Amino acid sequence: MTNLLPRWSARLGVGLGLVGLITLFGLLGPLLVGDPNAIRDIGLTPPGGGHLLGTTQTGQDVFAQLAYATRGSLEIGVLVGVMATLLSAVFGVIGAYVGGFTDEAFSLLSNVMLVIPGLPLVIVIAGFVPPESRGTWTIALVLALTGWAASARVLRAQTLSLRNRDYVAAAKVAGERPWRIVAVEIAPNLLPLLASQFVFAVILAILNEAGLAFLGLGTSNSSTLGTMLYYAQNGFALQRDAWWWLVPPGLLIALLGCGLALINFSIDEIIDPKLRNRARRRDTVAAPAPTVDDRDPDRVLTVRDLEVVYRVERPVHAVKGVSLTLRRGEILGLAGESGCGKTTLAYAINRLHRPPAEVTAGSVVFHDRDGTDIDVLALGPGELRAFRWDKLSMVFQGAMNSLNPVTTVRAQLDDVLTTHRPGMSAAERRERCQEVLRLVGVDPARLGSYAHELSGGMRQRVMIAAALLLEPQVMIMDEPTTALDVVVQRGILRELLRFRDELGFAVVFITHDLPLLLELADRIAVMKDGEIVEYDTAERVHRDPRHPYTRTLLASFPSLTGDRRDYAREGAR
Amino acid sequence: MTYFVRKGLFYLVALWAAVTLNFFIPRLMPGTPVDSLMAKLAQRGGQVNPETRRAFELLLGADTDEPLLAQYWSYLGNTLRGEFGVSVSSYPTPVAEVISASLPWTVVLVGIATLLSFLLGVTLGMVVGWRRGTWLDSLIPATTVLAAVPYFWLALILSAVFAGTLGWFPLNGGYDVVLDPGWSLEFIGSAVYHGILPALTIVISSVGGWLLGMRNMMVSTGSEDYVLTAQAKGLRGSRVMLRYAARNAVLPSVAGFAISLGFVVSGSIITEQVFSYPGIGSKLLQAVQNNDYALMQGIFLIITVAVLGANLVVDLLYGLIDPRTRS
Amino acid sequence: MTSTIEVRDLVKDYTIRSGLSRARLRAVDDVTFTLTPGRTLALVGESGSGKSTIARMIARLERPSSGSITLTGADGERVPDRRYRNHVQMVFQDPFASLNPFHTIEHHLARPLRLHGRASDIRAEVARLLERVNLPAAEIAHRRPHELSGGQRQRVAIARALAPGARVVVADEPVSMLDVSIRLGVLTLLNRLQREEGLAILYITHDLATARHFSDDIMVLYRGRVVERGPADEVILRPKHPYTRLLAAAAPDPDARGRSLESGLDVAGNPPVRVDDPGCTFRDRCPMATRVCAQPVADHRVADDHYAKCWMYVDGT
Repeated sequence: MTNLLPRWSARLGVGLGLVGLITLFGLLGPLLVGDPNAIRDIGLTPPGGGHLLGTTQTGQDVFAQLAYATRGSLEIGVLVGVMATLLSAVFGVIGAYVGGFTDEAFSLLSNVMLVIPGLPLVIVIAGFVPPESRGTWTIALVLALTGWAASARVLRAQTLSLRNRDYVAAAKVAGERPWRIVAVEIAPNLLPLLASQFVFAVILAILNEAGLAFLGLGTSNSSTLGTMLYYAQNGFALQRDAWWWLVPPGLLIALLGCGLALINFSIDEIIDPKLRNRARRRDTVAAPAPTVDDRDPDRVLTVRDLEVVYRVERPVHAVKGVSLTLRRGEILGLAGESGCGKTTLAYAINRLHRPPAEVTAGSVVFHDRDGTDIDVLALGPGELRAFRWDKLSMVFQGAMNSLNPVTTVRAQLDDVLTTHRPGMSAAERRERCQEVLRLVGVDPARLGSYAHELSGGMRQRVMIAAALLLEPQVMIMDEPTTALDVVVQRGILRELLRFRDELGFAVVFITHDLPLLLELADRIAVMKDGEIVEYDTAERVHRDPRHPYTRTLLASFPSLTGDRRDYAREGAR
Repeated sequence: MTYFVRKGLFYLVALWAAVTLNFFIPRLMPGTPVDSLMAKLAQRGGQVNPETRRAFELLLGADTDEPLLAQYWSYLGNTLRGEFGVSVSSYPTPVAEVISASLPWTVVLVGIATLLSFLLGVTLGMVVGWRRGTWLDSLIPATTVLAAVPYFWLALILSAVFAGTLGWFPLNGGYDVVLDPGWSLEFIGSAVYHGILPALTIVISSVGGWLLGMRNMMVSTGSEDYVLTAQAKGLRGSRVMLRYAARNAVLPSVAGFAISLGFVVSGSIITEQVFSYPGIGSKLLQAVQNNDYALMQGIFLIITVAVLGANLVVDLLYGLIDPRTRS
Repeated sequence: MTSTIEVRDLVKDYTIRSGLSRARLRAVDDVTFTLTPGRTLALVGESGSGKSTIARMIARLERPSSGSITLTGADGERVPDRRYRNHVQMVFQDPFASLNPFHTIEHHLARPLRLHGRASDIRAEVARLLERVNLPAAEIAHRRPHELSGGQRQRVAIARALAPGARVVVADEPVSMLDVSIRLGVLTLLNRLQREEGLAILYITHDLATARHFSDDIMVLYRGRVVERGPADEVILRPKHPYTRLLAAAAPDPDARGRSLESGLDVAGNPPVRVDDPGCTFRDRCPMATRVCAQPVADHRVADDHYAKCWMYVDGT
């Protein structure tokens, strides 16, 4: 349940406080202030003395009127909120769940209602209703009928996504009835969204009713904050400097709306956890790189005692004192399971880690071809940008999402060249882009394509082409082929080996697939809980694994062609 | 291509729905609007010829023996020809003429204000969402307050402060009444001068919505792989923000334009009333207050057509900026 | 108590609407097999080969376009439709998606027990089920899915499948979303339950190695068609169909260190063959393709109980 309740925050506190106080005022106020229409003093008495907020033009107490008007506005708001949310739930949730023609008809209806401007329609309807029959219910009904469509659209989208969840399929397989699936499996997960839509509907209703009342089209049988403003405006409160008559009702609406909106923020954070506030960005002061003593002339990248910490409530030590040396042209396999810190390590090497992750100690030194050493953690922002991709490029896990969906392949290859090779002419750039695509086996005509027009394998080839553009000395590949089918995966890896031989770059290849690394990598580092537990040549990791975890990992991949083992008899733990 | 055809068809359906709604609303409401209209017309010394009466009856419905469907057809015909009858409150001007005199004021005011607020909100939202975790975060609660302030109340306060106390801007109206409306520099200058406060009201109240929507989308796209890739490429921060993150984050704002435009149009009607702006919103209220049903319905239709048109344009634009709609 | 499922000539077509035009896509093409008690049949194929569609049709989440799925009980009688779900259950691929985040583990297991009228003491039965899948009932029952690890969740999903007293379990890539070090544990658990209860299991996977070690028979699916089927060791160690050979050559194998990655025999560049082509749909990638491959191809026996849908074997082995 904890993930369905808003997390406590200052915002939520302020929101609840505002809404609570105003509701209390609306509920209890009218019991204490007496008749709001009684004439108690001469007109337009300023605040103070017997009248907390002065009097109106006709000598009624503004504070008393405010209490009743708040109650009226809240009443309308809640009434419309309930009705509009019910309507949107019926049209959004049921339509999406039933699907087919019903869904199409319902969604067409809500889309049409959405594009027809609401307030003009309300004004026209209210214009036809004689003032004497313009009661609270009538106004609420009209506001609800014209205000449910936006919510219905949001709820429909969410229901469509929930409907296809596996747990709904699982409930069907278990034999649950359709109404139970909607009520027990889908509806609870819609609750945060329903709550946020309800709050939104309440805000909107209070604002719209105020507008309507301000135009003289409000309820005739009860007073709301809008009606108060209507009388204040028509009593020339502004021109007579009677701010105490005009300011409080508007301010109350604003505060109420603001409080509700703040509550909604907290609800939205349940729906989309990404929106939660995160730690402030802190620039780490990297310690100067320790002088490296082992002068291996072949090395291209040295990582020494690297520590990465996620600065959350209970800090997580994601990378613990990792040291690695990458030699020119070698493939270093980094193996480990999810959460072992392998991706965090890869990002930290290129300083791509984001807050709350922080490098707290250690060094990353890049040994350039011309003999200079680059202390990556100490680079300034401009130097870091120049370093990235030119010396060290990356291919990411999400084969599907690494390409910007709204620009062409050409634009995404081209901007690497315009940034890092400003001297190149447009023709040279085009020539280079075509060259790298041909290299990875993609038709250069694909330069004009968008990501959605390419297959998964092709997208990953394009990403490798992009990584090759500047002929970097190191390429970090984070699960580059995990989402692909084995046959496509093989093709890509085969070509990777070929490029490595031809171009001579070194690769850090990150994967959970240890057998793959045994075939592909020169050396392998096995990571567990942020530490490297085994670091040796692939040959030795295979023949003679030292760490028990390496042995567990190796044993997790049954051999395709080896002896058939009887797993069922080996205990189920 | 199917995307554009589908959008076109949808707006035709929406237009038909609005026209039909307009036909049925007066028929579903209590009272006999035609009679009260005719009485009012007679009061003003208007001649009640059968033709006028027939136009009103088609618009508003009356106890005739004519089948509803036949009335509907004739009504559709009149609507298509732009014949909305005669305005009672501005007798004897035809409704169409009243509308065409006031429409440009609103279109220009709302158009410019919406554009400004969209650009401002999206730009601010982009920066706030991109630089999350900095002092910019504190802008968010401020925008919520602005979004929760009723349009008309803000308009009242603005006019009290800037027009009343400080006297920087005129209190109300759309132009200096001593000038003759026309394309003279002086007149346009006066119109701009008069339009600043109403436009400011609309911008201030609607900018928060754009800002917040854009900010949330920036936060979401900020964690997408293609943004990470762009950073790994060593591109300049501004380029990653604009070409990779914002370019994608703006799509829902554009797609959700319809919802926001509805709010803006609603708010501007009331704003016009506060500033006695000579636009279509003030005319709508004038019509409501005088039971000028013909004008009321004509204006509703025109506002709807304008909003639908604006949405159509935005949807077509969306088709251009999101390549996925074209496949 | 045991049950058998016979699948005959199963076909699934999807209609794809784009604008006003409609296209038909054949996801599953004429698939026939039998699930027998105490045996595991592995269905191997790449993503998009139609293997999940077959699973969903057997679980009655989708309706076949044609063909039949017949469930026979221990008494040899056909099981009536309303009792179908008592017998046939499914384990889904993603244990993070197949459990409802809103409900407790107990709810997930108690519902099927109630629905199928099993056990009077629900709480005790839930505890028994959890113990069957090696989970400590007292600790787990009142937790919500997000408090459990992936492996624990998938064990809960297996317990849920057993709850109605299922005799046939369809396991759709049950371990592909789990961490590698716990995969074998979950598969071993399934295997043990099968032996103890005489379940019939359809194990759907893209991983040839676990298919070989955890099943008795293997079917290889390519673009909706079964291109090869036979005993597990036969199909993996002596693959006959060029596609199965390609898959076997591409599978990473710790014992194959030093093997050249060049062993793939994929041929690219031929014009792609449509899914509904009457001939062999693999011929665009097949190094052995000849002209005859455009003709409709039948299953040919290549060894005992071992069949390949390929023209190479028209004269037997």
